[in-house]
Amino acid sequence: MRRARSSFVAWPAVALSAVLASACAPMQVHSYAPPEASVATYRSYGWAVGDLGSTGDPRLDSNRFFVERVQRAADAELRRRGYERASVGAPDLMLHIHARLSQRIEAAELDHITGTCRDDCRATVFDEGTLLIDVVDARTDALVWRGWAERTILERVVDDQASMNQVIDKAVTAIFGRLPARSL
Amino acid sequence: MRRLIPAIATTGAALLLASCATVTSSSHVDTGIDFAQYRSFDWGAPDVFPVGDPRLDHNSTFVDYLQGAVEKQLAARGLEHSTAERSDLLIHFHASIDQRIEIAATDARRGYCFEGNCENGVQEYEAGTLIVDVVDRKTDKLIWRGWAQRSVDGVLDDRARLVRMIDEGVVKMFAGFPTHIVRSK
Repeated sequence: MRRARSSFVAWPAVALSAVLASACAPMQVHSYAPPEASVATYRSYGWAVGDLGSTGDPRLDSNRFFVERVQRAADAELRRRGYERASVGAPDLMLHIHARLSQRIEAAELDHITGTCRDDCRATVFDEGTLLIDVVDARTDALVWRGWAERTILERVVDDQASMNQVIDKAVTAIFGRLPARSL
Repeated sequence: MRRLIPAIATTGAALLLASCATVTSSSHVDTGIDFAQYRSFDWGAPDVFPVGDPRLDHNSTFVDYLQGAVEKQLAARGLEHSTAERSDLLIHFHASIDQRIEIAATDARRGYCFEGNCENGVQEYEAGTLIVDVVDRKTDKLIWRGWAQRSVDGVLDDRARLVRMIDEGVVKMFAGFPTHIVRSK
């Protein structure tokens, strides 16, 4: 019975995804730096050890495959910008990863003037994922730079490891695209 | 079911299709590890990954059937149950229950609704997630994580349905466990 239902849900899905695509931007990237901080003056960095804490999705809690993929992608981006991952001694910067998945509801697009719906009058429910990376001064623990990406995450993205890796890589590249290169 | 989904998984429909009474499952794996090196397993300390919902705490039906179902899958892959001091792998499990919302399609066939008939069927349900972690005892690293999810409405107080849900979930998640570990005895 479930299979039968699935097959005819598939067609309106095209319309629904169009609504989702227009209403929710694929990925939004932001960054923040305190006015007194200058990340470009630092040289080496390390990853803060410890758990991500609760991500809002039990599949990602204490999930080393998720964390290590973020670190791997970030290492490549940081290297490109002139920062070095500390192998010995204390690093200048410590990086912290935060991740959050939460369910969101979006009302259907309604024309508020005429009170009519254009394509589809349904509300939609979806998961939104946020990946945030904090860069802090290792000595003072003060925030130096923060970047984050938000996007709609289909449930199947976490289920499929290759898709998850792809989404992580894109998000990390976009986040660190906003990080100033190290001043030499 | 898993074969039907990928074609439409890239659309927003996946959210609608995650109809709450169906078990969905998957796994993550360390692809850089040779699973054939492992021969034995044991259950990790229960306090490390306790059952995450008070309704399942101290529920011996849940724990017994879950452990039994997992042991059956591991045995089928040639892994033997041994004591923690000697085992190659440690198994942890975790169950959590979250409130989720599902919106029923108004008119699934047409994909639109008629004037005056645009109400949404908003349904709140409890989504249960069962996670099984397989850890390399020597390195203390997670090498495989499997999970199964479905609505637990009407399941927690129904022993027969709980057992069925555990069996189905464990079998489905272990479909993603490396198979080359299987060896002849």
